[in-house]
Amino acid sequence: MVKEQRSRTLRRVKVKTPGGSVTTQYRKRKPSKAKCHNCGELLKGVPRERPYKMQTMAKTSKRPERPYGGQLCSKCSRRMMILKSRSLSEAKENDGSR
Amino acid sequence: MMEVGRLCTKIAGRDSGKKCVIVEIIDDSYVLVDGETRRRKCNMSHLDPINEKIDIQTGADHKKVVDEFKKLGIELIETKPKKAGERPRQQRLKNKQALEEKPKKEKPAKKEEKKTAPEETKLEKTLDSESE
Repeated sequence: MVKEQRSRTLRRVKVKTPGGSVTTQYRKRKPSKAKCHNCGELLKGVPRERPYKMQTMAKTSKRPERPYGGQLCSKCSRRMMILKSRSLSEAKENDGSR
Repeated sequence: MMEVGRLCTKIAGRDSGKKCVIVEIIDDSYVLVDGETRRRKCNMSHLDPINEKIDIQTGADHKKVVDEFKKLGIELIETKPKKAGERPRQQRLKNKQALEEKPKKEKPAKKEEKKTAPEETKLEKTLDSESE
């Protein structure tokens, strides 16, 4: 065993060889799960893969198809949209009164 | 609050953050919506009503909605639905037919091989002369 491999920086995968014996392979660990920027909740629909694998994937399979998809959770994005629309409409009313 | 002509913003989905108007009330939970969003059925819980109204009749056309939105100062981008392309299977069939229709090229007649006796090489000539 190589000295670097003995540490726990790499994850171990047991693989059955064609000869029938089982060997351990050392692979790099997956990155941490994607979280909401606002509340820190784990995001759904965002795959947990290394960047080389993310490159090969389609854009639609990497995040939900909505504004701020893959950045905010659904609850936070919904709340933000309501705040945005109401603040805009309030500003419009104030302009009219002046 | 939810009635025909009410302006709303969509909160959920791919059209979220876009303005729309209620065109028709389908159900006690669903409405038909048009405007910046696509013209589609929509859950009322995915809509956030604004304090504005447009006077349109139930089931108004998309053209009328576009005109009303222009008055508010919102110009809608009209997109035409893409025409469905021909299926590859059909194309393949067409190609097959074309191939069948094409007259087969007649093979060019084989060139008549000229059978001539090979000329005697120098060595052979010398050998002949020696034997004599």
